[in-house]
Amino acid sequence: MAQAGKGRLNYRCPSCFMRDIDIDMFYDKEKDEYYCLRCQYRGDEKNVLEKNELARFRYGMIGRRITIEDYGD
Amino acid sequence: MDNTFVVNIIHRPEMVPEYAEKITGQGQEEDIGRKSLLTESLDIFKFQQETAHKNGLRVTIQMTYASLFNEEAVSIAKHDHEVYGDEIALSLLGLPCNEFRDKYRTKDFCIWMFSMEDKKSIVDDVFGKFHDIFGFYPRSTGSYYMDADLINYIKSRYPSVKCAIATCFEEGPKAYHTCNNSWYTLLDGGPWNPWIPSKQNSHAPAADESEDSGIVAIPHLSRDLLACYDGNGSNFGTHPQNVLRGMIYDTKTWEFPYFFNLVDQYRHLAAYNKGYSYNMMFVGPGWLNKLGRWEAPYELLKKSYEDGCRYYGDLKKQGRCVDMTMAEFADFYREHKTYSEPECALWKDILYGSDKQIFWYLDPYMRAQINMDQGGALVDLRPYAAKLYWPVGIGTKHVQDASYPFLIQEKYRAGYFTHYAGEGTIKSAKLCYKGEEVDLCLCRTKAHFSRDDRTVVLTLDPVEIEFADLTVKLQTKIYFEEGSSTIRYDRVILKMSRENAVITVNEYLVACYGTTEYPEDMTGIKLKVAKTLDHRDIDYEYRCREESLPGAAIASAVIPAIETKLLVGENTGKATGYIREGYAFSPMFTLGFTKELKCGEVMSTWLRLEKAD
Repeated sequence: MAQAGKGRLNYRCPSCFMRDIDIDMFYDKEKDEYYCLRCQYRGDEKNVLEKNELARFRYGMIGRRITIEDYGD
Repeated sequence: MDNTFVVNIIHRPEMVPEYAEKITGQGQEEDIGRKSLLTESLDIFKFQQETAHKNGLRVTIQMTYASLFNEEAVSIAKHDHEVYGDEIALSLLGLPCNEFRDKYRTKDFCIWMFSMEDKKSIVDDVFGKFHDIFGFYPRSTGSYYMDADLINYIKSRYPSVKCAIATCFEEGPKAYHTCNNSWYTLLDGGPWNPWIPSKQNSHAPAADESEDSGIVAIPHLSRDLLACYDGNGSNFGTHPQNVLRGMIYDTKTWEFPYFFNLVDQYRHLAAYNKGYSYNMMFVGPGWLNKLGRWEAPYELLKKSYEDGCRYYGDLKKQGRCVDMTMAEFADFYREHKTYSEPECALWKDILYGSDKQIFWYLDPYMRAQINMDQGGALVDLRPYAAKLYWPVGIGTKHVQDASYPFLIQEKYRAGYFTHYAGEGTIKSAKLCYKGEEVDLCLCRTKAHFSRDDRTVVLTLDPVEIEFADLTVKLQTKIYFEEGSSTIRYDRVILKMSRENAVITVNEYLVACYGTTEYPEDMTGIKLKVAKTLDHRDIDYEYRCREESLPGAAIASAVIPAIETKLLVGENTGKATGYIREGYAFSPMFTLGFTKELKCGEVMSTWLRLEKAD
């Protein structure tokens, strides 16, 4: 089995991201999956992207523009 | 002054950008002189310069040591100074290059972590080289952090320097953890907006001319004052690619309104600071890597930088923003600010939808955070009054830890909520009635800011406390008197459902000291509660002791390790003061006062910070 490398983009582990850890994942081309060295997450690109969307759940106002006019005090 | 929103845009031609070597060089042996790396770095610098100028913004170009050996980088700086009025300054970031490594035989690159001897040598090398190239010494410099000894040395040798980037707000253990415990910028406890650093400790603002280090300091980025305190600071600042790092953008449209919300909230801070507000944008070239940055492709990185510059540029065109170089800003700051004038920020959540509101206060004696979601509790306190001399770098006691110590830090040492036993650091009040007890930390409210001559006042919306057979309406007012090193808390009983009821208010403060999540040795802390002719004392030995004194005027703690004295007081003589030692599972101490109150009465207490001799 050949060594792992980096994929097309340098994905971070979505599971670690959700606990405020930025850690690069490595790509296993034989299994076509990314995996985390630190935790037990592994997944293909589609799964990584889905989990990245999930990680945004905490940003309840991610799409909202709040301008200076919105400050009443 | 009329509302003035100042922005500093800063670029650095970094020949070996942080991150870039690791990314572009993945799978290759390290080679920081690789031509492809140098070419890409210059391309990024050119792109950043063009983008700023296209939007009518002037730039402070912070030349790195490595870039001083690069003719093209020097030539661009000279050209853009002539044509656009950019300031040519000098960064102490970006040291790595073959010339540096050959001379210093180290891979260290953070100026504050070197020994003092090396700091002096490096500064002389870098400033000397800059002078050789440009024929003058810079007026601005900076790094992620600059300790007091470093600033003092630079100012003494190169008096032309008047401005420096000297800290990253709340970039400490949280950033370290986020970077898989491998990014050593342990810099918590400093200002979020520009300040004049004291000669003793660069985090702590100077109280007067005798303490003035001679420069105006600016923070590295303008950061979200709520998001940064709990989360990774590097996701929440006026750095478009940091916002992408936090995944705070729409993956379909690539829009990221949060960045502009952040700029606008900073603009709004003018309402609390006599019309002045400030932003700093400083994107290192590693964040515009052609191979992308993590899951963000280059096109998105590029777009985000263009959008960021465009917004500042548009504000400038509308007359709502003044772009200054760092040196210009230093002059502006000294012209408009006094030493004792506080920096204030009533800040609201603009990202999560929590509706939380906090207030940050900063002056030469303290940095404090009040949390309205916890009834106005004091949740962070840094005793700048001590002006703690805290040398950092190799050869000192703090090789990496440059944070200013806290007395209260609700995230690192809990706050109201603890598991199973013990207490967390916080200042709040408990209301007691017929065996029931309610902490104001559980009363969510909002604050209104006002300024009365030299006193900043936070007036909180009244809250209701429900006991089994009594409802109490209480209002908290918090006063920060300029130059007094004191915070006063008034708890006013506005209404009670039973007119003659008597409640007991326990105004308490739980504290310890430290710079990280982990406990320090509390042995040696001296607690005292006193009135004119009487006092009780406890020397901290983790024995869970408590002393109280009816009619006490002051309860205090002397913390020798951080040369700080913390006092709380009650001036009527009608309260009972107390001191409480902690124990090994709860390494804290408590200072407090209890007092009986009826409807219409007020409990007024204060806390003061002093340097302990």
